[in-house]
Amino acid sequence: MTQLIKETGRYEIILTGFGGQGIVLAGKILGQAAAIGDNRESTLVQSYGPEARGGACSAQVIISGKAIHYPPVRHPDILACMSQAGFDKYIEQLTAEGTLIIDQDLVQPHGFDREHFSIPSTRMAEELGRKMMANIIMLGFLIAVTNAVSPGSTRNAVSSSVPRGTAEKNIAAFNKGYDYGLAVLKGRQKKATGRAGAEK
Amino acid sequence: MNDFNIILFLCSWGPHPAYQTLQDRAADIPSEIKMVRIPCAGRISKALLFKPFEMGADGVALVGCPAGSCRYGAGTTNANANEEDTRGILHLLGLGSQRLRLANFMPEDADGLLSFLRDFASEIIRMGKTPVSPPAKDKALSDLAEAARKAIAQNNVYSCQDCGKCSSSCPLTLAGKPFSPRALAASIISGSLSEPTVQKDVWACLTCGLCSERCPSSVNFPQFIREIRSILKGTGSGSAEVHGGFLQSLMRTMASPGVQTRHWDWITHEVRTDPAAKTLFFGGCAPYFDIFFGRHLGVKTTRMITDSIKLLNFFDITPALLPDERCCGHDLLWSGDRENFLALARLNQEAFGSSGAEEIIVSCPECYRTLSVDYPAHGIDIPLKITLLHDLIEREVDKGAVAFTPHGGVVTFLDPCRMRYLPKGRELPRKLIARLKPSAFKEMKEGGASSDCCGNCAWIGCDAFSKALQVKRIAQAKASGADLLVTGCPKCQIHMKCAMEDPFLGPDLTMEVEDLTALIVRSIHWE
Ligand code: SF4
Ligand code: SF4
Ligand code: SF4
Repeated sequence: MTQLIKETGRYEIILTGFGGQGIVLAGKILGQAAAIGDNRESTLVQSYGPEARGGACSAQVIISGKAIHYPPVRHPDILACMSQAGFDKYIEQLTAEGTLIIDQDLVQPHGFDREHFSIPSTRMAEELGRKMMANIIMLGFLIAVTNAVSPGSTRNAVSSSVPRGTAEKNIAAFNKGYDYGLAVLKGRQKKATGRAGAEK
Repeated sequence: MNDFNIILFLCSWGPHPAYQTLQDRAADIPSEIKMVRIPCAGRISKALLFKPFEMGADGVALVGCPAGSCRYGAGTTNANANEEDTRGILHLLGLGSQRLRLANFMPEDADGLLSFLRDFASEIIRMGKTPVSPPAKDKALSDLAEAARKAIAQNNVYSCQDCGKCSSSCPLTLAGKPFSPRALAASIISGSLSEPTVQKDVWACLTCGLCSERCPSSVNFPQFIREIRSILKGTGSGSAEVHGGFLQSLMRTMASPGVQTRHWDWITHEVRTDPAAKTLFFGGCAPYFDIFFGRHLGVKTTRMITDSIKLLNFFDITPALLPDERCCGHDLLWSGDRENFLALARLNQEAFGSSGAEEIIVSCPECYRTLSVDYPAHGIDIPLKITLLHDLIEREVDKGAVAFTPHGGVVTFLDPCRMRYLPKGRELPRKLIARLKPSAFKEMKEGGASSDCCGNCAWIGCDAFSKALQVKRIAQAKASGADLLVTGCPKCQIHMKCAMEDPFLGPDLTMEVEDLTALIVRSIHWE
């Protein structure tokens, strides 16, 4: 179902949303998991300057098996959007085979007609009792559907990056998104083989 | 040398005179055959046909009168039906259906009878001895009073405050039966256990546990009753087994180590299984129920098994099935037969252990309780993780990407007693039902926390009050406005359907009953 992590595989990722969603933290965890956990190279460029506090913000992450010479991301392979403004701003930059991931309650993927992934991450976070954890749920989902970083390294990075005393809750949030991602992949695979229900 | 035992049930009217002719002629009747003269072949119920097998017989022949010559009319037809069903049961048990044979002879056909008996005896000898070893005889306890005293102390019964909360929640009392848990407890404390009226009540309790939930002194009434039953078992106190004790016979037979059941033979290719899997699915006794009750109630409890496996398959779990799976022993334990319960439990423990699996998934709440609570409480530890199917479904569905075609109907739920006692036992089925998006979920008047049961437990003590209780239950289900009664246990379904057969109230009581797994399997799909 999920491929093995490519040793030299290079991923250029943009995570985007609005200020306060923890987009940059998610980017940092992603890069840290790749570098510390998976022994690869990673860079993070954050942009929130004037757009912070509710405006569009983004984290640009590159993960690679080789040294990275130019950290900004111009054409992401993976674009994860947690706000409509972020989607509108970056969708044109997504590569032709790139993977789009959206929060399904916050983003309408207007004009995007390829297959993509969506998750109600904010709603799930609310159900878990902490809206702030939507970023971690999104991160878990991203890793399940793209396999950009190994889930174990990411769990470690989550534990060491979130505020003290919230590690357990954040791991649960990560798992929630990760399990949802695996379930979505499984569902797609089942549908492709014509076995969507339990009766046939 | 002749150590085979073949029981011949011989009808007095048609074939018995033929048999007498053979005796008069000093004909060579196979010596393995032990004849029991009966008034009509049609009166030998499935329970009676099966009983000799439980006791170690190698074969049973039922011989009656040819169709049309039955003195009572329906004898031949009944005998045919009983023979067919019992043969089905013998097959599932792995004893071989050929061990039971039905034949009909007229009085003048002595030669026909003789060749039938010879042929049958030689077939049985060819098949070999039965794998069933007769169950141990119940041992009478030397000191009844002392045993009762222990049971009273262990279950907190001395602390009863006589507050009456138990009686006001007991479904039997509420159904109008002159029965009171606290009065029963008081009589046993005062040493009246040997009185027939007290014993009758001991066998009547449903062990549903509603009284204990209310009791301010935590008197563990169901467990107390269970103890008292196992004390009484050896005394010959009539244990009020229903259906002629057939179901208990069946379970005791499975407690015989030599028996190698074939009760998965019916399983279809609709489901995927894998003998080497690390996950085991435990199915239980549904296949036997379907044969035993099939003609009368038309129940199809094996559907719950196929549906459960289909759901596992849906989540990419391909379970193993124990090739010679046995009963879990729940009903033996609750009907006082601790010895055979333990025998079954040990055989299961061994089979689970050597299966190589790491987890057992169980869909029947009784099996779940027995494996996860009662085995360890009796010192029989199962080193595998035991999971209730409903828990697994909720966990998997909660991961997401799974949707349900909305059910659309109005539904209500009958709580199985062995699910209700679980920490989330009331919540869990309701959560699953909510996911199915019925147009409405209606709680019965005595639903949820105060939920009455289905009116029978462990196949003992079913009487007019049980019926009254079941009728009340169905009336409540209908009055809730629901058009579908959802259950979660194969037995709830059997007992409810039985109540619906009431010849007087019949049409007023008809209501669609379905197992929760059936509803899920039909509507679940990947998003
Ligand atoms: S266990 Fe149930 S049937 Fe038995 S006394 Fe208690 S409430 Fe009544
Ligand atoms: S509820 Fe408990 S304390 Fe009260 S009468 Fe019944 S057994 Fe005794
Ligand atoms: S309710 Fe019907 S099926 Fe159940 S024990 Fe009583 S008679 Fe048997």
